[in-house]
Amino acid sequence: MPIYAPTLPPAPDLSLGQPPPLVLMRFDFARLLRQKIGRFFGFAFLMMLLWKVARIYVDHLLHTNQAFKPMQDFAKTILTQGADFQADLLNPANYLLWFLVALVGGGLVARDTLYRVRPLMYAHPVAPKDYLLAKLGFASLLPFVILLPFALLPWAMSLLLAGTQGPVWVTAPLRLLPAMAISSALMGSLAVGASSLAATPRAGIGWVLGLVLGLGTLASMLHGLTGLQSAQALNPIVLAETWPQLLVGVQRPLLAWLPTILGTAIHIGLWTFVAARRTRPSEAVM
Amino acid sequence: MIAFENLEVRYAATAAPALKSLTLSLESGIVGLLGPNGSGKSTLLKTLLGLLTPFRGSGTVLGVALGAPESAKLRARIGYMPEYDALIEDASAYEQVAFWGELSGLAPEAARDRAHEVLYFVGLDEARYRPVSGYSTGMRQRVKLAQALVHSPELIFLDEPTNGLDPDGRRRMLDLVLRVHAELSTGVILASHLLGDVERVADQLVILDQGQIKAAGSMAGLRKALAKRVELRFLDPLDAAQEAALADLGTVLEARNGLYDLELTEADPAGAFRWAQGQGATLVQVTPRHDRLDEVLLRALHPGEA
Repeated sequence: MPIYAPTLPPAPDLSLGQPPPLVLMRFDFARLLRQKIGRFFGFAFLMMLLWKVARIYVDHLLHTNQAFKPMQDFAKTILTQGADFQADLLNPANYLLWFLVALVGGGLVARDTLYRVRPLMYAHPVAPKDYLLAKLGFASLLPFVILLPFALLPWAMSLLLAGTQGPVWVTAPLRLLPAMAISSALMGSLAVGASSLAATPRAGIGWVLGLVLGLGTLASMLHGLTGLQSAQALNPIVLAETWPQLLVGVQRPLLAWLPTILGTAIHIGLWTFVAARRTRPSEAVM
Repeated sequence: MIAFENLEVRYAATAAPALKSLTLSLESGIVGLLGPNGSGKSTLLKTLLGLLTPFRGSGTVLGVALGAPESAKLRARIGYMPEYDALIEDASAYEQVAFWGELSGLAPEAARDRAHEVLYFVGLDEARYRPVSGYSTGMRQRVKLAQALVHSPELIFLDEPTNGLDPDGRRRMLDLVLRVHAELSTGVILASHLLGDVERVADQLVILDQGQIKAAGSMAGLRKALAKRVELRFLDPLDAAQEAALADLGTVLEARNGLYDLELTEADPAGAFRWAQGQGATLVQVTPRHDRLDEVLLRALHPGEA
């Protein structure tokens, strides 16, 4: 037999709350922690980060320790901190990151569809644009936050070891951070758009992986048939890899500026449009 | 509390109207929205919440016009308990009620405090940390009610709140609805296809069918009308002249084996004894027909049928 309270205390103030997109993003983050996939990905990303930091430390030892003097010339050729080194800082995490974005982002909208909570959200002071902003924001923020230590930690450690006069590229983060932001927005929009097409989180994950791999295959086929490198602009993985290369000034990037900008803009625009259409209140109440 | 005029709602511009030219004004209280499945009850609630835009007509909810820019803010003053299971299965009752509170404008800490209070209010104190996927139907309905109450709305819309509940669960849920209005002074719109639920809690009644209002009024007025319904039992069958004279007493709805079902002209059953005395008939029993609200509903829904 339930025990009922005598009555409810007076109503609290409704004007002190946080903006709805922030509330939704915080709830998605709490949900992510409940999913318990953080251990695997946390370990994998930490190992990658340690590998990069260790490389820098080894480089420092090779340059400063007399015992390693015979290896210095060799080290200079493979451990330079030029454009290729900087662009490569973000690359190894890319595939694993796409997988994480598929696992988490694939369920972001689909889970709300499955549980039928979106109409109830719109029955609160939540506008469709708040909902979309929250989902896109969370799906984009996730890869950005994971990539952040890859851009900043090696740079900070290099500065600590070698100082500003050493081989360190002091302004590298100013180029890497925008590249990460664009790549993350690309991943986030694709994940949310694909998730909005699915009725269950598992189907959402399938949609994200299917779209990424399918578009990659299609791009490769077109490239093979036409010989046009710019056909790879269809491939979101290639686009995400190209942005750091372009912004740090790699000599031979995967794609040129124009196809990269066009491809990214089309992907972000298309998937945001799909997500916006699929999460309209009229879709929610039918 | 709520008023609308010539309200017409369509799910698509070319689709048939789901609500047809509704005109009504409702005072604060517990309003029973009664009608069969598919009659337009949920559509009306969604329109009042601003989730659907009226195709034609106008209306106000708590003084705010339907479709007005401030209707988003209006939703912070309304609680909505949907008919379907809108629960986040992988979250506990406490987590999701706090979440809905925050979405309504409560600060995070206030929402958490309020979630505890409101779950205690609906009787889910001990189970509130368990994921709702393990809840019974009654508990799930109470979580839905808790999320509608967490921000202390001025008005709540309850869409089939007793769906799937056993008789005891129904009684508890309806007790809660009565408490919500009595103790929190919250206006309640209760949509149901179950007459017993509406009869138990509502003080106003609106009967909807095929998107149209078939009847509307206060339950007190309806009960007063029902008080005119009586069943008369005579010792001997009435002769033809006496049967014809029954028209002086009221309208004969049914006659069988000395039993006459009447709707009296005056709500005074004692008048029947006076009439019998005048006619020389022996009236042995007058039975008030207070239990015939279902017939009123059926007459409203199917006016052509006896």
